[in-house]
Amino acid sequence: MHFSVSLENMRRSPFQAAAAISTLALAFFVVTLISLVMFVSHQVVTEFEKRPQVIAFLTQDASVQSIDALRMKLEGDPRTTNVRFVTKEEALEIYRSATADNPLLGELVSPSVFPASIEFSLVELSFAQEVVDEISAEPIIDSVGFTANVGSESELGSVIVRLKNIVSAVRIGGVIIAGVLALNSFLVLTVVISLRVTTKRKEIGALSLIGATPGFVRAPILFEALNYAFLGVFIGWFLGAVAVLYSAPAIVGFFGDVTVLPKSISDFLILLFVILGIELLAGLLIAFIGSSLAVSRALRQRTR
Amino acid sequence: MPQILEFAHVEKSFGKVQALRDVSFVVDEGEFLFITGPTGAGKTTILKLLLREFSPSSGQIVFDKTKVHEIRKKEVPALRQKIGTVFQDFQLLSDRTLMENAETALSIKKVPKKDWRTRIDTVLDLVGLSDRRNLFPSQLSGGEIQRASMARALVVNPKLIFADEPTGNLDWETTDKIMNVLEKVNKEGKTVIVTTHNRKVVDKMGKRVIELDHGHIKK
Repeated sequence: MHFSVSLENMRRSPFQAAAAISTLALAFFVVTLISLVMFVSHQVVTEFEKRPQVIAFLTQDASVQSIDALRMKLEGDPRTTNVRFVTKEEALEIYRSATADNPLLGELVSPSVFPASIEFSLVELSFAQEVVDEISAEPIIDSVGFTANVGSESELGSVIVRLKNIVSAVRIGGVIIAGVLALNSFLVLTVVISLRVTTKRKEIGALSLIGATPGFVRAPILFEALNYAFLGVFIGWFLGAVAVLYSAPAIVGFFGDVTVLPKSISDFLILLFVILGIELLAGLLIAFIGSSLAVSRALRQRTR
Repeated sequence: MPQILEFAHVEKSFGKVQALRDVSFVVDEGEFLFITGPTGAGKTTILKLLLREFSPSSGQIVFDKTKVHEIRKKEVPALRQKIGTVFQDFQLLSDRTLMENAETALSIKKVPKKDWRTRIDTVLDLVGLSDRRNLFPSQLSGGEIQRASMARALVVNPKLIFADEPTGNLDWETTDKIMNVLEKVNKEGKTVIVTTHNRKVVDKMGKRVIELDHGHIKK
């Protein structure tokens, strides 16, 4: 009965309903996009961490035994992973594939020009500086490079800081924008419900006189707010999901071989439904708190 | 007969205005009682005290073994559910049909849904509004609204029917219809209290009368 009364209330005040639903829809549309931007930025960082980040170039006179010893040392280090020895020949192949559009460059060089190297990844980017410092002190290491930067190891610290700053800016910015939109939705919903309570003041009085409990009086108004939240969240999420699906090829193309979005459609849908679930929880919580506040205020004023 | 309602030395003041002064009376179960008096005599104040819209300044009110003057706020809805009130200003829900108004009362009292239809049909038939069940209060005449209010009060099968000025500004024929319904309900065993300033109605019915004047009982 309460649910049907709440639907009837919405039908009789279509503009109030439209204002509440559209505000919530807009907020959750943006929140959906922010969530995916945060997901993509997280994926970029993860991808970065998985890649061979450190290349330790060996001196020309490094013996096979000392190279093996260093490789085994790195493999046993819990801070490093994906340790790989790259010979001079392999280095030449990498150079040739990188300069494939200009074959003459590849023809002009011999393997002896390229130093052999040991490449490895870090479990966490924060270990980078100390690992690089340690490995630089090894006698068979000529120099150490970091794939995130294009310069020498002296810029390593700034690369890590820059990367972390970008990720944290995305997260903090996202949370702030989502918070402001949530607050805005909360206020609009509270105002709409307060208006509803004001127009229903006589009815609330009549219900109370014939023995309705405060819960009975609150129920249809609470249902109405939950209806607004459900519809607003779903519409916002749906529009956001459509926008992301539409722009997915462009996003994937922009990041190249970095896997920023799930490759299978089922994983992609799971991600979207997880976002929907979290948004529904947030939206219903906003509706519950906002409507409870508005009704309590109205009932308090009535009994004064 | 056991008594269902007792007012004992009840006083009620609103600032310097004394609405009720040392009002004492008892009502037995199954009784039909008129409370009469001119406008401002305190008739509606008695109803509001009984419904615990406000508390008495002093004195005791006992309804169905419940000390109304002592109950807590959360117990008020249960008290009101035992009383079928026909309000002077009707208090019908304007955006719900006559049937929906009755359904709301049944829903408040948590009457099983399977019994709704029978109960609504019975009371609408009793007040003569069976053919008006799907109309909104604004689509009914003054007399029909009064009877609709009565139907809502009766549908929950209350222990006491309290009708506050049920004949208000109605014509004699409609007044007669309403009083007939109340008498019929009383004959079925329900306790009925009617407040009115209409002496002719009181005289015609020949029931026990309490006459209020400036907040105290005259006889």
